[in-house]
Amino acid sequence: MSSTIDVRNVHKSYGHIKALDGLSVNVEEGEIFGLLGANGAGKTTLIKILMGALKFESGEVSVLGHDPHSDKFTLRPKLGYMPQQAALYDDLTAKENVKFFGSAQKIDNLDKRTIEILEFLALGDRANDTVHGFSGGMKQRVSLACALVHRPQILLLDEPSTGVDPKLRDSLWSHFHTLTEQGVTIVVSTHQMDEALHCDRVAVMRAGHLLACDTPRALLATGHAKITLEANGSKQEYDFANYRVELPKLLGVENQVDRIEVQEETLEDIVLRLIAERETDHA
Amino acid sequence: MLNQILAVVRRVLQQLVRDRRFLALSMIAPVVIIYMIYIFFDAVNRPLFNEKEFVPGVAAFIVHFLTYVLCSIALVRERTQDTMTRMFVSGYRRSSIIGGYVIAYSLVATAQSLIVLTMLNVLFELEYTMSEFLQMYLIIWLLAIISIALGIFVSNFARNEGQVLPMIPLILVPSVFFSGMIVNVSQMPDWTQVLSYTTPMYYAESAINTVGSAFEPVQVLYLVGYGVIVMVLGVFTLREQM
Repeated sequence: MSSTIDVRNVHKSYGHIKALDGLSVNVEEGEIFGLLGANGAGKTTLIKILMGALKFESGEVSVLGHDPHSDKFTLRPKLGYMPQQAALYDDLTAKENVKFFGSAQKIDNLDKRTIEILEFLALGDRANDTVHGFSGGMKQRVSLACALVHRPQILLLDEPSTGVDPKLRDSLWSHFHTLTEQGVTIVVSTHQMDEALHCDRVAVMRAGHLLACDTPRALLATGHAKITLEANGSKQEYDFANYRVELPKLLGVENQVDRIEVQEETLEDIVLRLIAERETDHA
Repeated sequence: MLNQILAVVRRVLQQLVRDRRFLALSMIAPVVIIYMIYIFFDAVNRPLFNEKEFVPGVAAFIVHFLTYVLCSIALVRERTQDTMTRMFVSGYRRSSIIGGYVIAYSLVATAQSLIVLTMLNVLFELEYTMSEFLQMYLIIWLLAIISIALGIFVSNFARNEGQVLPMIPLILVPSVFFSGMIVNVSQMPDWTQVLSYTTPMYYAESAINTVGSAFEPVQVLYLVGYGVIVMVLGVFTLREQM
């Protein structure tokens, strides 16, 4: 196992529900790795296994060369975790929240580091305000600050932009990219397709299974295109896996083309098709 | 570990100080309850119980009730808001979290115990000597610490505030009926006597009965032992996930 994160054939069930059913993925150092799937796909379960908060029934998991459950006290100082909900103390100020979570570990000059990380997330001027009055987006940034205060090597983000407006979402992703430039590896779960495009690689999950794992560009390249061609007074519809090759061939045999309409699959269409194909295979 | 305990203490106290309504209610509630008991004894000509024997136990129970309820709800809230998981992932140890909570809430309990005992002494004219007052204070204070540990322990079995509510009477009702506060334990059937040994109020009531010249420090040691056991149970049952 040489990757930063290696997950091999992991099974995890909650009663009779299989949350992870033989899942295998690996994450390389410094990449943004997206976990893409609908609710119940197993994204949060995988994140909780990676941080050693959940046991699994079988399989192998290695995070920075450690078993996340048995070596959790060695591993956790190297991990940052941002849960779905902000998980902050509303009565405390942003600075007090960040300092409290940072106090779990030995950090040189924690006060200075707290201010530094709040400024990095554009919250320097609100450091001494109680979190209670913050907007959802600001709370998410404080939450991210809590996850980053101890300079983790790996950042685990569980749907970090849930309930966040598009502008702030862009700002969060900009921070994530800055962090990867500094060598931080990021695992981020999301069910929003446009966010997946920010990732270096994406694992498409469904009911604990891995449906696909590749770069967003490679996944998009597997997309089909629906071609509507009006020629010689008739209208025909075609479905091409690679329309750039197939379309010229088609045009070559037509005498007069009146109209062409190309409808390419979006990433969302591709994911939905993969899910449908999986369900058809199991039917 | 000491750094982590101090960080939890500081954080819990910061929250308590900011939540002034909570703080005020937790100090005013025992005063109101004791005053209502005083009105009851003052209004009823022939009360069911001898007030001088009954009231100290009631005072201990009030502190037990309030600290147990407040602490169990605070811990369950940590779970529902996901801050418990975040504490663990940040590197906090179970013993640090419980130690921090016990120390922080014990400061509240210290003030609560003092208010309860002073009210009791004044309203019911118990005329405690300084030595008796200190003995009583020690017992009630220890009971408060146990109640905090018990609140932490019980909260480990609840996923949300709704689930912790039925656990409140489950712990407190046996404390009222089987601790010797109402009926002497020796007059109960053998099997209920066994039940009484599981309630912290039994040990508190036994110690309260010796306050004065016949004070038995061993009764206080039983209380301490009970507290240590509950705290250890709390540490071992505190889970990151439910």
